[in-house]
Amino acid sequence: MLGKLLKYEFKATARLFLPLYLALLAFALINRFISPFKVFEPSTALLDLQMLISLLSIFIYFALIVGVIAMTVIIMIRRFYTSLLGDEGYLMFTLPVKPWQHIVSKLITAMAWTTLSFLVTVGSIVIIAGEPGLAVQLKEFIVAFQEIFGVAGYYILPGYALAAMASNILMIYAAIALGHLFSKQKLIATFAMYCVLYIVSQLLIILIFVPFVLPFMRFLINPATPAPGQINSLLLLFLLPIVILGAGYFILTNMILKFKLNLE
Amino acid sequence: MSNYILECKDLTKTFGRVKAIDNVTLSIPQGCIVGLLGPNASGKTTLIKLCNELLTPTSGEIYIAGLKPGVETKKLVSYLPERTYLNDWMKVADIINFFSDFYADFNKEKAYDMLKRLNLNPGDRLKTMSKGTKEKIQLILVMSREARLYLLDEPIGGVDPAARDYILQTILGNYDQSATIIISTHLISDIETILEHVIFLKEGRVVLYKTVDEIREESGKSVDSLFREVFKC
Repeated sequence: MLGKLLKYEFKATARLFLPLYLALLAFALINRFISPFKVFEPSTALLDLQMLISLLSIFIYFALIVGVIAMTVIIMIRRFYTSLLGDEGYLMFTLPVKPWQHIVSKLITAMAWTTLSFLVTVGSIVIIAGEPGLAVQLKEFIVAFQEIFGVAGYYILPGYALAAMASNILMIYAAIALGHLFSKQKLIATFAMYCVLYIVSQLLIILIFVPFVLPFMRFLINPATPAPGQINSLLLLFLLPIVILGAGYFILTNMILKFKLNLE
Repeated sequence: MSNYILECKDLTKTFGRVKAIDNVTLSIPQGCIVGLLGPNASGKTTLIKLCNELLTPTSGEIYIAGLKPGVETKKLVSYLPERTYLNDWMKVADIINFFSDFYADFNKEKAYDMLKRLNLNPGDRLKTMSKGTKEKIQLILVMSREARLYLLDEPIGGVDPAARDYILQTILGNYDQSATIIISTHLISDIETILEHVIFLKEGRVVLYKTVDEIREESGKSVDSLFREVFKC
């Protein structure tokens, strides 16, 4: 059932994201060919139509980047709020599916689109920059990455990024679910709940860190470059509260959808 | 399996201070057509939503075929809500695939057959459809399932009288005799002929639960005129 939910969730969101990604990549290509960034360099002689077109294409490109970021967040929230707690919820919650499966399907889809939005944006920058010898630079980057994070960094850093992403998305879901418990002013309540969760989570992170403050400070002050092992253990330490909080948000959201659902 | 398809025990649902459902105890047997009748705001929709787990009871219990509402009961219940829940971006064929993906008892052929008879095109987008057409599509989806219990909330409220007859025929022609249909409405005269059992709801309480035959024998009245008498303003 989770597979089927995922299939429909991707279908419902792909039709919004894919055209936007295409537009962004297309404008990156256009910018690459008319290279508007270089127009500014040779003085004022070209202050004419070419300048105007260049400005316009730069403007559209950046508007598209902002659009991609905004859409990623808005669709993430809307897909949870309207499709589960709006009118569509009448359909979703009468399917023979458990509430946790709904949450997981929304979460995986939101994480996939967030990752893709990031990759497409980076890709569009690479297209515009279009430096020759990209492969060489990539190799250098990998070498530098390995020097800082070590081989374990290939697993730990992406793992950390994914866990942090999941935890943040689940915090939004938990805030929406908590807001749903209010019979009036649900939107304001949701926003207030988000603030509460944010403060609570920050407090918890600080509390967990108190015992580690001293070694942490020493680590920051130490003038020597930290070894990959040190960086990775620090990341793993950060990971602990993130995973605990994420699990907490998930359980809370699931409990509310399971035992306190009231679609009015 | 219990003999009753739907049982409510001391069921209460409050919204703020208002008791939408007030201590309702009911047992509805399998294989009958039940009219859930009452004026506006009498708790009809609330009761049906409680059975679908869309609302959480304040107190009391619900059993569907002896089971508490959950994944297993959702496999047995086919629900037509009083509002449209269709995703606007889908085509009719998409939503049919959606239903047949999630419900093992969904009969695709039946759905396409009904679409044809109502002159609806499977390739049409739901976005372009009127409210009445969407209601027809939803009814087709709901009645294409071979469910044990159909919960139909105002199935004829939004459509024209000419389509009403067809919809009632659709309902009657598409269910297995051992299944139960519960229809909520205040358009009693239109559906009186198909009802076997009648529940009157008033301010969240069951004021009457009888078979249509009993009503006719005891009071000599039709359901419609008894309704007008009970709910006289």
